[in-house]
Amino acid sequence: MTKNLVLAIETSCDETAAAVVGEGKHVLSSVVSSQVDIHARYGGVVPEVASRAHVDLIAPVIAQALIEAGIDQSDLDLVAATRGPGLIGSLLVGVSAAKSLALVWKKPFIGVNHLEAHLYSCFLEEPDLELPLVVLLVSGGHTMLVAMDDHLSYRILGQTLDDAAGEAYDKVARYLGLSYPGGPAIDQLAASGESKIDFPRPMLNEGYNFSFSGLKTSVINYVRKHPETPIEDIATSFQEAVVDVLITKAKKAVIETNAKGLCIGGGVAANSLLREEVLDTCLKEGWQSFVPSRLYCTDNAAMVAAAAWRRYNQDGPSSLFTGADPNLQLLE
Amino acid sequence: MLILGIESSTSQVGCAIGGHEGVLASAHSSRGKRHAENLTPQIDFVRQQARVELDEISVVAVDIGPGLYTGLRVGVTAAISIAFGLGVPMIGVSSLDLIAYPVRHCQKLIAAVIDARRGEIFYSSYRQVPGGIQRVTDPIVSSPEDLSAELQAQGTETLMVGDGALRYADHFDNLRGVESAEPGLAYPSASSLVQLAHAKALREDFVNPSELKPLYLRKPDALEINMQPRRAQ
Ligand SMILES: [Zn+2]
Repeated sequence: MTKNLVLAIETSCDETAAAVVGEGKHVLSSVVSSQVDIHARYGGVVPEVASRAHVDLIAPVIAQALIEAGIDQSDLDLVAATRGPGLIGSLLVGVSAAKSLALVWKKPFIGVNHLEAHLYSCFLEEPDLELPLVVLLVSGGHTMLVAMDDHLSYRILGQTLDDAAGEAYDKVARYLGLSYPGGPAIDQLAASGESKIDFPRPMLNEGYNFSFSGLKTSVINYVRKHPETPIEDIATSFQEAVVDVLITKAKKAVIETNAKGLCIGGGVAANSLLREEVLDTCLKEGWQSFVPSRLYCTDNAAMVAAAAWRRYNQDGPSSLFTGADPNLQLLE
Repeated sequence: MLILGIESSTSQVGCAIGGHEGVLASAHSSRGKRHAENLTPQIDFVRQQARVELDEISVVAVDIGPGLYTGLRVGVTAAISIAFGLGVPMIGVSSLDLIAYPVRHCQKLIAAVIDARRGEIFYSSYRQVPGGIQRVTDPIVSSPEDLSAELQAQGTETLMVGDGALRYADHFDNLRGVESAEPGLAYPSASSLVQLAHAKALREDFVNPSELKPLYLRKPDALEINMQPRRAQ
């Protein structure tokens, strides 16, 4: 069980995370130190603040991951870190730490693509998912429909042309005067509201690309014109519009690519309505589905370890000259 | 005792290994903005040149700044990780101490000046004392104009050293009693770091990896520009 043991580090945005995972599926530890409280008072992630916090947290978080896993560094087979995409100052902390540890512990190092890591969060808990699959990757920075034809082999079917789904949540939440981050705040509020307003479903029947900027604007315009509308109803109606668009396109993708099922990943995959709708849809259609635990939807290092293990066994280690790439694409 | 020294607070990145016998090997590179890419392979190269294994290292010394944030963080993160990985203590040394150290035999006031970008400098002054130099003023962020005015008011014989002194030479050139050190001494050297750290190590002046903090001197931009929490608008 402890063969192919990976220590992975994730610092692409505002979570300092480290995990120890065996064979891409046995999670021995997954430590996430969130900076959300630090950034909440700015209403968003401040890159320099995030970078400084990563430097302070990196060694304690790695130490805790090793202690919780109950292992010694000599048991490790591989040291991995997210190398992009993300905030450059944040990424550099994780990459520098992982390369340094790989060097002193004489272990191979591998740089991991953060998007690939999100795709592998599904396999962390459900390693036997059958391919091909469609994965809906939704977070504060990305909204993407990916056809996963085989392990480590993808096609991007569509992505957002403007705001990411999570970004639209944050912006609407900020307009409504809700706390940061906006996703959980709207999700919570939506539970007690009614879906009374028919917000537009942008690009619903136009291919696989998304556009959430227009939806965000129409929510803001509606609230301006109807300030008396209960905020809960706005949240419920907005959430339904977002999830409707995501599910409609994901469903179409599964059918048109002849995939065996649908999975979700990324921070917005923690959203209650989206999770429910994915499971419902797949049940109705007879598809396999997988919705990762919430702690593996938001940024974490266990998913980085899962992707690292796959990549390493296919492509071997990365060079110690590896740097961070803030604009790394999924297909590179 | 074997010390690994890492410095990366300016446009260059360097490391050195040494101890009681002095510096065994060192390297620097200055391919702008390539600190993170170059540092790990450079440490491995220096280790081979010094003919030691990394698990023989007993102290990790690091330049804690002030300096350029991105480079500084790469060096500090690498140093913290190596010290943590080997289970050894650390020694932090200021970049300004490092550039003053090679001119320690100078009888004048030593003004260590690092380019802080955005028209600013990091500055600290030093004076010779028996056995070395002593910092007279704490590191601060300042402007070349303010430093020039201060030096003029003091009228003390001063030696300027560092990349900030070079970049803003036109502010200091005409001041009476002020001269510049040779350009070759403008950057912190990892060899100086190992030598300075060696003296501190003999006094057991150590910190744990979790206690080591970079010297940023400036607050993050957002804290200065946007003190107000954002509200719905
Ligand atoms: Zn993410």
